[in-house]
Amino acid sequence: MADPESSGMNNADGGAANFFAAMGCASALVFANMGAAYGTAKSGVGVASMGVIRPELVMRSIIPVVMAGVIGIYGLIIAVVIVADVTNPDLTYAKGFADLGAGLAVGLSGLAAGMAIGIVGDAGVRATAQQPKLFVGMILILIFAEALGLYGLIVGLILTSQG
Amino acid sequence: AAMAAGRVARWAAAGALMALAQPARAEGSEVDYKDVFAAVSPYMWAYLGAALSIGLSVTGAAWGIFVTGSSLLGASIKAPRITSKNLISVIFCEAAAIYGVIVAIILSTKIEPVEYSDTEGWPRGAMAAGYGIFGSGITCGLSNLICGMCVGIVGSSCALADAQNASLFVKILVVEIFGSALGLFGVIVGIIMAGNVRFST
Repeated sequence: MADPESSGMNNADGGAANFFAAMGCASALVFANMGAAYGTAKSGVGVASMGVIRPELVMRSIIPVVMAGVIGIYGLIIAVVIVADVTNPDLTYAKGFADLGAGLAVGLSGLAAGMAIGIVGDAGVRATAQQPKLFVGMILILIFAEALGLYGLIVGLILTSQG
Repeated sequence: AAMAAGRVARWAAAGALMALAQPARAEGSEVDYKDVFAAVSPYMWAYLGAALSIGLSVTGAAWGIFVTGSSLLGASIKAPRITSKNLISVIFCEAAAIYGVIVAIILSTKIEPVEYSDTEGWPRGAMAAGYGIFGSGITCGLSNLICGMCVGIVGSSCALADAQNASLFVKILVVEIFGSALGLFGVIVGIIMAGNVRFST
């Protein structure tokens, strides 16, 4: 059978290494987008609800939405790093699996971080409308949630540089 | 507890019997997961990718449109002025479907006929091309699915807020723009991946 370290384009094994690289690229972007979308939607609903009673605070309250969008950027970064490997005819299995791992790392971390940002942002903007001193506290909690996505990006970049 | 122990013992015995009763295999004839990939035609991957990119994108757009539209119609009962402005939210959702159409057409033009040989299987480029088109299709499709849902939810809140305070429309629209950027990310990566694909070298 094919040597695990051999080129992925040996016809006897169907080039499976490229499949795993493609799955890594897709999962990096898709899961990070899921987290970003959840964060955007959940925080956006909170912003719209609280904007009815305090319209002057709306532009400040868009910060959770921006942070959720950054989660999507993390996924985009790793996806663009991986995308060249998908159609590389000399892709080794090691590199293909490394790409899959990197994609899942950033994607699932981004999904989790985006969900956290969404829920914290929603509660935070509604609370800030009633007690303006809570704004700084909301930002601090959002930064911790954003760091989770950053950890996934770091590990994803380390994995893509291996293999 | 005695019944549970008996059940566990029976499962363990059955497992041991199955492990021991494997038919004798000739040396070097083991089947591997790579054989599955070698046996599947790249055209399955390619056409699935093209289909999913449009199917999932349209699902996302539809989801967003019904979420936004129902809220918009309900809110405009007491505030009919909001109707024409908030159609922008519906158009943002539609954009997700347009992205899916663009990528699906690009992917379908990338599929070319190649010859399968019994001795060597599919040609070198065709395999990677099939995976690339599939990856591009599900990236774009799932990104637009999630983007459409997000824009729809935010658009619904935008309509409800606009009905109560007209100055809020533009501010909540900023949130919708962030949401629609997610679908754009999917299209960018999908087009990059599909651009490198070459079925026949």
